[in-house]
Amino acid sequence: MIAARIMRIVGLFALSIFLLTFPLFASAFFVVQIGIQSLFLGIVALSLVFLAGYGGMLSLAQMALYGSAGYTLAIITVTYGLPWFVGVVAALIASTLLAVIFALISVRTQSIYFLMITLAEAMLVFYYAEQDRIFTNGHTGINGIRPPTVGPLVIADPTTFYYITLVVAVLVYLALRYIVRSPFGLSLQGIRDNARRMQSLGFNVYAHRVVAFTLAGLVAGIGGILGTWYDGAISPGSVDLTRTINLLVIAVLGGLAYFEGAFIGALFFTLITNFASSFTDRFNTVIGLAFLLVALFFPDGLIGLSRKTVQLVIRAPQWRGKGTVASQSASDLPHAAIHSNGTASDSVNLGKQFMAASVNPEEKEE
Amino acid sequence: MREFITVTLNGITLGGLYFLVASGFTLVFGLMRVVNLAHGSLYLLGAYIGWSIADATGNWILAVITAPLIIAVIGIILQQGLLRRIQGQDLREAMVTIGVSIVVADLLLAYYGGQSHEFSPPDAINASTNLVLADVTYPTFRLFTLATAVVIGVGLWFLLRHTRLGMIIRAGIDDREMVSALGINIQLVFAIVFGLGALLAGLAGIIGGTNLSVGPGDDSLYLLYSLITVIIGGMGSVGGAAIGALLVGLVAQYGLAYAPTYSVLLTFAMMIIVLAVRPQGLLGRPSV
Repeated sequence: MIAARIMRIVGLFALSIFLLTFPLFASAFFVVQIGIQSLFLGIVALSLVFLAGYGGMLSLAQMALYGSAGYTLAIITVTYGLPWFVGVVAALIASTLLAVIFALISVRTQSIYFLMITLAEAMLVFYYAEQDRIFTNGHTGINGIRPPTVGPLVIADPTTFYYITLVVAVLVYLALRYIVRSPFGLSLQGIRDNARRMQSLGFNVYAHRVVAFTLAGLVAGIGGILGTWYDGAISPGSVDLTRTINLLVIAVLGGLAYFEGAFIGALFFTLITNFASSFTDRFNTVIGLAFLLVALFFPDGLIGLSRKTVQLVIRAPQWRGKGTVASQSASDLPHAAIHSNGTASDSVNLGKQFMAASVNPEEKEE
Repeated sequence: MREFITVTLNGITLGGLYFLVASGFTLVFGLMRVVNLAHGSLYLLGAYIGWSIADATGNWILAVITAPLIIAVIGIILQQGLLRRIQGQDLREAMVTIGVSIVVADLLLAYYGGQSHEFSPPDAINASTNLVLADVTYPTFRLFTLATAVVIGVGLWFLLRHTRLGMIIRAGIDDREMVSALGINIQLVFAIVFGLGALLAGLAGIIGGTNLSVGPGDDSLYLLYSLITVIIGGMGSVGGAAIGALLVGLVAQYGLAYAPTYSVLLTFAMMIIVLAVRPQGLLGRPSV
């Protein structure tokens, strides 16, 4: 246990140094293509991990919410030529409001129904963006979205952009970690584990879910602003089914139960797409196969896999026997302790179902 | 008036096509609780395989018969090879089908390229029919599509209501464990139903591809329409799929004709209204 804690502190320290000095030694390609991209994709994936891992809501609408922020930013700053901060504020309001609407429709359903309805919501956004000629400019979308210059900061400069994205990513990560440990976050996890019980205890299940979804919409919108600045353009292709699913791939690759997984998944995904595309045109096939493998064999994602390995190496005392390896390996994280309660009882709950493949999911608790 | 009739006919025939796609989707979901997000890929695969067969043999009818069968076999392989090992974990099953759909879409794009392909069906159903009553000349193939949908709908109703297999399927929808406890090989039934769902997707692929054309992106388009259809109609209900498909088809066509920019919003609004009044869909049962 102490060994694990020391390893974590050392690891965290090394990671901070690495992230802070990254632009000093890495080439521009790595800073821009890998660094910035995996950071803003990681932010969007964070919103999904928050919903799925802590709210039990596997949403496919996050990329559409990202797009709603991106489109609003583009329309305000490019089409109407208003200042950047108006665009940023409007973009965040837009993605948050759209999230409220989406939430009101979808959070009454759960699990697979929720997945289907959020997928339909996401695809309707895509087809709307493609049809509309007045605001979203149809298939072409909107070009020429430039990151602003704020005082001495030229955000268009790759290194500056990297640091800004890094700061935003860390802030969002810390905020979400704080939220899941707040009373609201704890009751949200209670609802994830057993909505009916929480309802009988007097919690407003519906309101908790709507608020969680709205928060996630705000986070996706933050990612959307950074991503749209990064791309310099937005079109229906930015929110199509492929992008929607890519985000799911990122979150699942990283591990849906951990915030850290969002960034690890995003990094891994960015590396695959950048390097696979240099030796094959079929990098989508590579991504699809990687996703299939993870969904079939490693329901905990890469981060679960690495935790398992680390714990095998340092022989943490709580690791014993087989069977519930996944849930036990998670138990050294403070927030994961809540996760591992009631592992066997909840079929509806996504995080659990993912982590404990051996649990009989046929039980109808809900 | 004539325009209105044509638009209405368009909506109804399009609804027929959506029903063909969505019926397989809802059948699989109803029995197995599998949300097959590769359903659109099976549609597209059926369309492309059908196109290849028709292109090679020059025989459209041969394509309509063989391609859905090939898709049925592919569907059974998908279910037995991948889904069976994680059976009952609905979210993981959905994810596996997403993985399959990514790979299939990419490989189809590599093989068939980005341009769209067109079918040439036999002349008998490729001309126009003069509908005397409405005084409208209408493409025969659209009417053929509608007729196919009606035949498939009646066939499914007969299968589910009046055959032993249908009885087992209905019992399985109610209580899977009980059915297998009664000595019925539920795994065999699962394979058959998944194959049937895939077959319907493949058939819809050829019919839909002949109506319009076949190209990349059709998989997500028809997946979306299947989703909306079953969300509106009620998940797992074949009758609900028929009503949902008709509504979606009509709203989409009226929207395209009278409010082109906002037809998607109309569909969305319809989905919101239905879900607000009946969260389980028009003919769906309340979720467990």
